[in-house]
Amino acid sequence: MDRLEVLSAQLNKADLWDDPVHAGRISREHGSLMNKVEDVMAIEQELVEHIDMIKLAQEENDPELELESVKALLRIRRNVKQKELEALLSGEHDYCSCYIEVQAGAGGTESMDWASMVMQMYKSWAQHKGYGVSVVDEMPGEIAGIKRATIEVDGENAFGYAKSEVGVHRLVRISPFDSAKRRHTSFVAVAVIPILGDGSTRVQINESDLRIERFRSGGAGGQSVNTTESAVRITHIPTGITASCQNERSQHSNKASALAVLQSRLDQLEMARQAQMNAQHTQSLTEISWGNQIRTYVLHPYRMVKDLRTNYEVSDPDSVLEGDLDDFILSFLSTSLDKDEE
Amino acid sequence: MRLSFIRPISCCAVSSPTTLVKPQTPLFLRPPTFKTTLTDLKKWHLWAKSLASSVGSAFLNLDNGPDSNQLLRELNWLIEDAIGTPKSILEQPHKSRNGNSTVLIRTCLDELYVLWKQRVEERRPFQYVVGCEHWRDLVLSVQEGVLIPRPETELIVDLVDEAIKENEELRDGLWGDLGTGSGALAIGIARILGSKGRVIATDLSPVATAVASYNVQRYDLEEKVHVKQGSWFEPLRDNEGEFVGLVSNPPYIPSKDIGGLQAEVGRHEPRLALDGGASGMNDLIHLCDGAVSMLKPGGFFAFETNGDEQSKFLVHYIETKKQGSFSKVKMVSDFAGIQRFITGFRGR
Ligand SMILES: C[S@@+](CC[C@H](N)C(=O)[O-])C[C@H]1O[C@@H](n2cnc3c(N)ncnc32)[C@H](O)[C@@H]1O
Repeated sequence: MDRLEVLSAQLNKADLWDDPVHAGRISREHGSLMNKVEDVMAIEQELVEHIDMIKLAQEENDPELELESVKALLRIRRNVKQKELEALLSGEHDYCSCYIEVQAGAGGTESMDWASMVMQMYKSWAQHKGYGVSVVDEMPGEIAGIKRATIEVDGENAFGYAKSEVGVHRLVRISPFDSAKRRHTSFVAVAVIPILGDGSTRVQINESDLRIERFRSGGAGGQSVNTTESAVRITHIPTGITASCQNERSQHSNKASALAVLQSRLDQLEMARQAQMNAQHTQSLTEISWGNQIRTYVLHPYRMVKDLRTNYEVSDPDSVLEGDLDDFILSFLSTSLDKDEE
Repeated sequence: MRLSFIRPISCCAVSSPTTLVKPQTPLFLRPPTFKTTLTDLKKWHLWAKSLASSVGSAFLNLDNGPDSNQLLRELNWLIEDAIGTPKSILEQPHKSRNGNSTVLIRTCLDELYVLWKQRVEERRPFQYVVGCEHWRDLVLSVQEGVLIPRPETELIVDLVDEAIKENEELRDGLWGDLGTGSGALAIGIARILGSKGRVIATDLSPVATAVASYNVQRYDLEEKVHVKQGSWFEPLRDNEGEFVGLVSNPPYIPSKDIGGLQAEVGRHEPRLALDGGASGMNDLIHLCDGAVSMLKPGGFFAFETNGDEQSKFLVHYIETKKQGSFSKVKMVSDFAGIQRFITGFRGR
């Protein structure tokens, strides 16, 4: 509120528009704060109205009206939760789109299957939130699941939310691949990389530092081969960092997507270099140690998902695996906010 | 290696594309006027997936054809092209979506069964099934009778781009794409030329010229790209010596290798687009010979070849038989590390 008053005072100054860039910034910030305040007041008003409505409905004995208002309250609750999440995002890159990467831990098919479950969880989560989701790179396991995969999640605040997922996810279940029906524990590492916007300074890549290779191209190539597979792998020679893409329909687009991933990996590396002074950094897959477990999913002998950082837990793993992650994210973000304030 | 240097016999030199061939509209551009239910569509999807999975690596082992993973990816693209509503509706098994809800598709469901059967059982190329190929940032219409442009060939546009960046005069001159097929190279190049730059694209095949013209029109390039029917340089007689650049991906597969090609290619793509004569180099040599009189001094050329052996031979041929005509002749490799192209400049 204080900030709003300061801004309003500035907006009322006669000489404001002498510096149009400054004025533009002030008026934009003012506008966006005003919107937020109005949103909150509207929610407050709606809340009061519906509570009154329920009271009235009970007095009048009108169950239909009551039900409608209860539904409205539920809707408001969802809405408020969303607003709360948004309020928690204030990191420099939180507004960015991002890549989510998963990598199966040791244990072969078992953990590769877990990796594809985790990937599916993020795809559904992102779709629910209305984000664009596309698979950039995917290395399938020999029998089932995936060894490694990268998806792009496109939309506002994607990085801010998804960064809560960085770390190792552990699964305990009766293996569907074990004929002896024994209990297995599998691990998957998750990394999240922001896709920096145009405003940010990005690492300069020299074309001559890149090696571009086509892979899985058997035989003579050219006219002799007709394949829709046009995967490329790009290596940044000075750092040895690679990126590949095979899900686009042309080689040109595969190359462009791989280059975009490479760019973000290099940006992330640069951020990591600067991380000593700046806590804004999320770890890459290679940096994540398998000891860094953040969440456990138990399907047997009991059912539970528990976040080891916040102790938040639920007893319905299915809904979590179907992408219902917001509560985990919310509790993680509020815990980190509290920590920051301490 | 014995080579025949016989010039290919040209049969007709009709200069305007008398298009009797009607180009087909690719699936993704047809209106979504067919209705089906989500349940029926899912049934088809399951069937199509299991057909794809049943292939395993059988085709891969047989003739380097597609394996199940590749076919499954193609199936996703078929859905992407065929469905009017977002394809994610097929991926939400848990959601309480009504199975009877209508889904709009761009061809009838029966046809989708036929198309996928053709893809897997007859090895009909996926690009003919959906009627298009994604090439560079373009989506080109293709159909039986026209070669499906290859990923390797995309690089020729990059080579042209580099040449133009080194010598801006090339940007506003006349370019030639010989044996244009779907029009891929002509369109790719036209899009990097300046306002005065023009491309003449030629092909002997009436299906190719019809499809190329259709693609040119779809990208609004009628002003820039002229499609002419005829054999190699014949439709270009009026423009001798005027070209600042020539590109071509002529047929280069040796005749004896045609029989052993991957089924998608050998059984379905036009022989006229593939067969380069006994050594595979009949047309490439004809093009090298002709380029001398067609190109302006300083003009650029880039030709695609079958790989290391042909590229080396051509560089040697130019250096010995065309001494002094060209400069900076070199081989360029594709992303698989094969010497796929030769490029050079007409001497000044
Ligand atoms: C390998 S395809 C290349 C098509 C296209 N440029 C591409 O890269 O996708 C060779 C093309 O040369 C054409 N062609 C074959 N003989 C020809 C001739 N004598 N004159 C002109 N074009 C010819 C074929 O019809 C075919 O379209």
